[in-house]
Amino acid sequence: MSLEDFSYIRPDLLRHTIASTLKDSSAFDSEKVLTEALFSEKQRLNREGFSWLTFLRLKRDRSLWQAVRSDLLSSDPLIDFRARLEQVVSHFANEICGNFSETVYRLTTKSLPLGFNFLLNAASVKTILPWKFQEAVSDRIEMQGEIARLRKLSKLGTVLLVPTHQSHMDSVLIGYIVYLLGLPPVAYGAGLNLFSNPFLGFFMNNLGAYTVDRKKTGELYKRTLKNYSIELLRQRVHSLFFPGGGRSRSGAIESKLKLGLLGTALSAEIKNYQEQRNQPQVFIVPMVTSYHFVLEAGSLIEDYLSEAGRHRFIITNDEASQLSKVVKFFWHLFKSRSRMTVRIGSPMDVFGNIVDDHGKAIGPNGTTIDPKLWVTSCGVLGPDAKRDREYVRILGEKIVDRFYKEHPVLSSSLVAYAYFESLRKKHPTLELYALLRLTQSQRVVERTYVLQILERIMLKINRSYEQGLIQKSVTLVGQSPTQVLESGIEELGLFHGVSVVKVRDDYLTSEDLSLLYYYRNRLSGYDLSSHRELIQISPGVIDAQGFLA
Amino acid sequence: MPKDFWRKSRVVVLGGGSFGSVLAQLASERCREVMIYVRDEAQARSMNSTRSSLDHQSNLVLGPNIITVSDPNRILEQRFEAMLWCLPAGACREAARVFARAFRGDEILIHATKGLEENSIKRISEVLREEIPCPRIGVLSGPNLASELALGEPAATVVASHFPEVVDAGIELFHHSKFRVYRGTDVVGVEWAGALKNIYAIASGALHGFGYGMNAKSFMVTRSLAEMAKFAVSRGAQERTFMGLAGFGDLMATCLSPASRNFTVGYRLGLGEKLPQILESMSQVAEGVRTTAIVVKEARATGVSMPIACAVQDLIDGKADSKEGLVSLLNRAPISFDH
Repeated sequence: MSLEDFSYIRPDLLRHTIASTLKDSSAFDSEKVLTEALFSEKQRLNREGFSWLTFLRLKRDRSLWQAVRSDLLSSDPLIDFRARLEQVVSHFANEICGNFSETVYRLTTKSLPLGFNFLLNAASVKTILPWKFQEAVSDRIEMQGEIARLRKLSKLGTVLLVPTHQSHMDSVLIGYIVYLLGLPPVAYGAGLNLFSNPFLGFFMNNLGAYTVDRKKTGELYKRTLKNYSIELLRQRVHSLFFPGGGRSRSGAIESKLKLGLLGTALSAEIKNYQEQRNQPQVFIVPMVTSYHFVLEAGSLIEDYLSEAGRHRFIITNDEASQLSKVVKFFWHLFKSRSRMTVRIGSPMDVFGNIVDDHGKAIGPNGTTIDPKLWVTSCGVLGPDAKRDREYVRILGEKIVDRFYKEHPVLSSSLVAYAYFESLRKKHPTLELYALLRLTQSQRVVERTYVLQILERIMLKINRSYEQGLIQKSVTLVGQSPTQVLESGIEELGLFHGVSVVKVRDDYLTSEDLSLLYYYRNRLSGYDLSSHRELIQISPGVIDAQGFLA
Repeated sequence: MPKDFWRKSRVVVLGGGSFGSVLAQLASERCREVMIYVRDEAQARSMNSTRSSLDHQSNLVLGPNIITVSDPNRILEQRFEAMLWCLPAGACREAARVFARAFRGDEILIHATKGLEENSIKRISEVLREEIPCPRIGVLSGPNLASELALGEPAATVVASHFPEVVDAGIELFHHSKFRVYRGTDVVGVEWAGALKNIYAIASGALHGFGYGMNAKSFMVTRSLAEMAKFAVSRGAQERTFMGLAGFGDLMATCLSPASRNFTVGYRLGLGEKLPQILESMSQVAEGVRTTAIVVKEARATGVSMPIACAVQDLIDGKADSKEGLVSLLNRAPISFDH
């Protein structure tokens, strides 16, 4: 069963999701579960501001929770709380459950590249060339890694793609890559706020997206969401999660993952074994995207630096929500010679063991893993909450490890890192925030000095590359530090309207150090900084001075 | 869990030393069969015929459902439900590669090795995880002097794992009226505590050899606890683990008992003997000698202050001022501390 059969499986998906959630809740008193859900939902609804785009949805929510409140306050002993709970779970499940329209999918996958190709050729300098030399969007995407294995595994089980997340453009890019690879469309969870936009919402609703409302923090909603994901995977619908939970605020590769949804892969596989289904395995496929410029970089780094990210988890009105900026983004992307790089990482089983072309997980010393036995405890095959939580924690660690190892380094990240490092060396006593406030004259660094640092960093990167600890974009292969410096300066943050790094005579300077810091952070966690020797911290964790190591 | 699951199970014990034999005997009372693996064929034959462990001085009598083998294929060919790993730290990587194929995936693996891998400074559970396709790994550690256990004296230990079923298995197999098994989850802390305490047992033994009394030893043991906790916490352990059996408990037993191998090494060093001569005369491995070198090197590289461990290393290296090195800790400038 695939997403293309969605309308056929949709009723079953909903039915199983509701039944599983009610079963999970049966250990608790229905009245208590409703009270807890009402409490968190009332808080959410009180925080919601008015918008014509969300008006109808919020009206429906308020009406439901008013009815729940009346029931809970009523003294009538005959009130059926179980039925009300079922109504609430059904409400959640219907909101989560997306649609999939094959017509819209075919139309979009055919028209989108055409539209993109038109934009690309309108923007590209190659417009002047004869038609046959015109470019295609796919030429601007560099795909690396285990592409063949991914294709094979998609026929042997259910694929769960787990990419790094930098931009809302990731969904568009990955959706397009899935199409280019000839894979069936994937289901993916997208923020409910994106569905509020009528244009985006129409496509999302019809392209296999299901809604994830991160403002709903109640247990009942989370349980429904997880069960929906489990059912999708069990129906062999290839899926996609961004395991980091949201876009990387700092620009660094995710080092901490949200394990809740990730655990649904193991739960689905265990259920498949219990029911002795065909092709029961779920394959976890990490993906790492690398961009020379990120549409929302300005908002994200501002959020990270103001530490608002801790309180304001969802940025609702950033660059991705403004159509003009999205069009401008693609215009700049196509106008430049810039390429996006995507690497398909080594597929793993639900325990984090690498899987071969035949879907067999390979353990240490060439042993073959029998996943059924890994979920068998004292001779009984089945779920075990505590054991499975540990498996998911280990899987999370393995995914992070793969993210770092599969990351294709771009020249722009290297230049941002080297230039930022040169500023740190010039001002060694300054903390992060003081460094980001350097005056224009303090930001000026000799080109040769940056080049020296870049050479040192490239040596380290090359050593790591040889050990399989990092990857390189094609544009980096065989390039000298001077060439990398030139191409990096040319590519870095083209979109932003300000120069993230610019050359003035034999000096480098920057018009926006926060953006420089954002792009530089993509290489944090690789032990590249000479300042690292003084700091004993884990990759991705903010150090005492406020820098990412 | 199905009733009598462990009663019907087979348990493998790798390593037929005194501690392995005691644990094999405890497990044999709770399962169908225990298979002990030793490298030497003659020793296997001797253990099977005399029903006693390699350590002939102990009074331990091996139960009838215990069989000792020296052929690894006997382990590889037969299904087992749990394995107890009691090999010296230096032999773990190689043995793990040999026995990796014995695992199907649903077994429980508990190790009782108090040491570290020399070059990588990896904990034993890390080594086993890298080499063996068995996710459910735990560690058993505590104040467990094998000679006292063999006599049936009361004792307690900790089994720690991130998988509760591993701890459950440890309790099912080893918990007895005179051997209490406590639960733990801090695998990192328990393993570091077990490895580090051997260093301080050498220090304590040396003080005994120098002829010092309980004041000096208590001072040394207390500061040793702070030193080992500080080092282990910097590597991800939980400090409170060091207040328990695997930390303070094991440190007390090994630092104050002449039966401890590492204490004996320290004691003889304190008397002026040279290390090669001491090791040559010992039938069992004193992990503390290796561990001291590993930890001191790492502490120096990472800038962690470990004055006692460094003094022990000087003592092992036969430096002339080793006695002064240990005693000079008393003469340092007054410092304030709250533990």
